[in-house]
Amino acid sequence: MSTRNVLLQAARRGGSLFGLVKKLWGHPKGRLGLILVSLLVLIAILAPVLAPYDPYDVTQRAEKGLRPSLQHPLGTTITTGQDILSMLIYGSRVSLMIGIITGVILAFLGALMGVIAGYVGGFADTLIMRVVDILLVIPTLPLIIVLTNLLGRSYFVIVLVFVAFGWTGLARVIRSLVLVLKNSNYVKAAELAGASRWYIMTKHILPGTSHLIIMNTTLTCAGIMVAEAGLSFLGLGDPTAISWGKMLAEAQGGGALLFGAWWWILAPGAGIFLAVFSFMRIGIVMEEIFNPRMRASSSIYKIFKHLNNSYLDEVFRSMEDEGPEEAEGQPISTAPAPEGGHD
Amino acid sequence: MKRSYVIKRILYAIFIFFVVLTLNFFIPRLGVRDPAERYYPPQGSMSEIEYEIIKQFTRAQYGFDVSTFQQYIRYVRGLARLDLGTSLRSGSPKVTALIGERLPWTLVLSVTTLIISLSIGLLFGTLAAWRRGRWQDTLLLNASTVSVALPAFFIALMLSFYLGFELELFPAYTNPNMVAQFDWSWEAIQVVLNNAALPIMSMAMGGIVGYSQSTRNSVIAVTNEDFVITARAKGLSHTTVLYKHILRNAMLPLATSIGMSISGLIGGAIIIEQVFNWQGMGTLFLEANSTNDYPLMMGIMLFLSAFAILANLITELFYVILDPRVTVGDKR
Repeated sequence: MSTRNVLLQAARRGGSLFGLVKKLWGHPKGRLGLILVSLLVLIAILAPVLAPYDPYDVTQRAEKGLRPSLQHPLGTTITTGQDILSMLIYGSRVSLMIGIITGVILAFLGALMGVIAGYVGGFADTLIMRVVDILLVIPTLPLIIVLTNLLGRSYFVIVLVFVAFGWTGLARVIRSLVLVLKNSNYVKAAELAGASRWYIMTKHILPGTSHLIIMNTTLTCAGIMVAEAGLSFLGLGDPTAISWGKMLAEAQGGGALLFGAWWWILAPGAGIFLAVFSFMRIGIVMEEIFNPRMRASSSIYKIFKHLNNSYLDEVFRSMEDEGPEEAEGQPISTAPAPEGGHD
Repeated sequence: MKRSYVIKRILYAIFIFFVVLTLNFFIPRLGVRDPAERYYPPQGSMSEIEYEIIKQFTRAQYGFDVSTFQQYIRYVRGLARLDLGTSLRSGSPKVTALIGERLPWTLVLSVTTLIISLSIGLLFGTLAAWRRGRWQDTLLLNASTVSVALPAFFIALMLSFYLGFELELFPAYTNPNMVAQFDWSWEAIQVVLNNAALPIMSMAMGGIVGYSQSTRNSVIAVTNEDFVITARAKGLSHTTVLYKHILRNAMLPLATSIGMSISGLIGGAIIIEQVFNWQGMGTLFLEANSTNDYPLMMGIMLFLSAFAILANLITELFYVILDPRVTVGDKR
């Protein structure tokens, strides 16, 4: 099957957001992901109602280092006697907020850049792809650390930095897809009919890429949540908020390892795991729905290695038989081509 | 054609390096009217005039007394002599000297991690591809999902807790005397290996799964190629087909990804080094961050970027050499 047909078919398989949710619900694994994500969102919203204690209350001298019990289902911290379950519930707010907000903004920015590079082409394309090349070689984590140092440690800055440096992966994928869509018959027909570039871009090209964008967003959300936990662990998150990464850092600093307070380490770890896992689930299932020829989760790990994920690139490459044109300046791909196309 | 391609890639790498270098120069100058502001010592009980003199002195010391353009020229000239600037630490050590001191310790971690994860990953990935759809394959699939959702630093904490504090198999924190007492004796090497065990384990976990997954995909992709079917049809044995036809070709993309992984590992080791207090580049960077030592931070950044650019370039060139099927030049 030729690349173009596969891509066009995949583009057609995308639909409205509602249709997508319905499809996800119909898939057993997708349903699990959906339930988990909505549960997490509910917990984050209802945190003040759900939390049995005040997680910011550091005056519980008598309650220090309690093992999990009925009063404190996940125990308390050794240093200040904070209730860990309450901290965990409040911590979900930071993870989800950063993950979802950044993921959505990244989706818009990446899609915009990709569509401009692919559809407008010419100088805009060259410029955007050069910027992508440059951002790819700058080490992400050190850069984020430098920028939070310079601009202050607030979640606004963290989201800003994630957005500024995370859009490259999606932009590259969308660009390749747009290059194919651009030459499809319906876009050519619209051009002949005298439609403006803007009209074609918003009415024909963007809808065709929507499925990739949505899928990428869920995976990016998961990736950002891991990255945020890492930043908070290094003490670079917002100092006033409770987050899972910061809980782990406090646990290590407070001697949880030394005094054997396993509950203090396990709880935030489980939180991170659950949040990332459920977002990933949705992403993987979407991939199965849109591209049934791909085996689930092949090389999905890639996305989390760096913020700029090359994962979708690979999904894409797996659909290529002859391969769409790559700009000459683009580095030769070193990633192995996943299976597909021959099954 | 090949030579022109090589020259083109090298020139492009140099261009990218110049852009990164320029960014690196301007990032610490972001958001403040007086970039030297970040270098002034606290005023303390000094009078305004005294403090003004100290300020002037600091400006001259760190080269802020000339125009930004001249500063930039000076910066580039310094780089040409492999001078990344002077750290703000006491004694004003050179950034390159500090990096040189810490780099080997990070390389110990990253190279060992790479070797371990690559060899286990290759083995397990081939197995999963060979036994596709059986339990080995399913195990790999589940392991990838789990390992992705568990941040490496959490694994590091758990390992430190369980193997370090509970079972006392390995030191849970790096021995602070390890670096100072290292003298290439067998005992010293043993101490290093012992201390490096947990950091390497926590870093290798993700790497093993990652390499297994890509080996598996790569092997399966090659297995479907015509020449493998031909080899089978010729009646060659399974092992011959596996080693001579499939693995050799499947190795190619993996071999070329090693360069990038090393640069990624050096930058990515920051959190793991922090967990175990391992005295490498990562902790050096965090120390620089907590003391607002901008020359040191930007020096490390530039070093890591240059490493990535170089690794990228070598990878691209190797790819052309290793894979004769790759056509270079305009693909359009």
